[in-house]
Amino acid sequence: MTTINRPLLLFALLLTALGAISATAQPQALGVEGQALIGEPKGRPLSGEELERVTNEVSSLMRCPVCQGLSVADSPTPSAVAMKEEVRQFLAAGYTETQILTYFEQSYGEFIRLEPKAKGFNLLVWILPIAGLLAGLALVMRRVKQPAATEAQDDAPTTVDPDLEVYLEQVRREVSS
Amino acid sequence: MNRTALIVGVLVITPLLIFLALSFRSDPRDIESPLIGKTAPLFTLQDLDGNVYSLEELRGQPVVINFWATWCQPCIVEHPVLVAASRRYEGRVTFLGVIYNDKPELIRKFVRQMGAWGPSLIDEDVSVAIAYGVYGAPETFFIDATGTIVDKATGAVSPQYLVNLLEGMLSS
Repeated sequence: MTTINRPLLLFALLLTALGAISATAQPQALGVEGQALIGEPKGRPLSGEELERVTNEVSSLMRCPVCQGLSVADSPTPSAVAMKEEVRQFLAAGYTETQILTYFEQSYGEFIRLEPKAKGFNLLVWILPIAGLLAGLALVMRRVKQPAATEAQDDAPTTVDPDLEVYLEQVRREVSS
Repeated sequence: MNRTALIVGVLVITPLLIFLALSFRSDPRDIESPLIGKTAPLFTLQDLDGNVYSLEELRGQPVVINFWATWCQPCIVEHPVLVAASRRYEGRVTFLGVIYNDKPELIRKFVRQMGAWGPSLIDEDVSVAIAYGVYGAPETFFIDATGTIVDKATGAVSPQYLVNLLEGMLSS
């Protein structure tokens, strides 16, 4: 039969109790588990002035969800301020602009991007203004060319009916005298 | 006016006008949530009494998450609907309220006067509302027993809508 070392057993029990207490005493992180949605950071952690500058840059690409046409960077609403703070935290943790925009896109969809991605139906937004500009330029060019052509037509030498040449000559004489 | 210019003008401007008209008519809150059909973002929040709620631990039965505030009129309108539903589905569906841009003391006062339909969780940094893509209050998310978001309602929910959806979730 094995004998149990009483002091050792007490020590082991004490260690177990301490472990249990420290586990329960650990503050539970409140909030959302956002990192789980976009994986590990793919960039380098930013800090100081660079962090502030990039936070503004990324926030200015995002639409404030509770405003009319304002970016997250420009909006003073609590939601936008909170989103900007999340952007700052993500950048400080080393997440890239693409990862951050992907994170917000997962909850708000593409609506969150102030500038839609140039693909699919969105291509119209990029193509139509250029098409309109080109069409306008084409029209202007055509207008510019048309009067020149008319003037050129006016300056072209005209053939006169020989029977009328006598009368034409008379008119010229009267005009010049 | 030049006929070609007119045709080109109409062809360029008409699609732009249609596009703008459709865009101005659509309310961002009516855009279908990209989260529907996906796993609900997990969170851990405290209620007004300090009790901790973790969404992950609530798996196994449907969960209704309602983002609300006392300043929001539709939230006040739907409050009795949610109170009635929480009583009807007690033990079968978990109802969680997430405070959206409001002060806990105002929520506490409101709940004391009007009754509670579930714990009111404090989302101090608005991170949970952002993770759920909330545009305003009230917005209600319906999460099935596996943790998947099956539907989202914007504005005050009607009793019929709530019952139909929850019965469907419970029977599946």
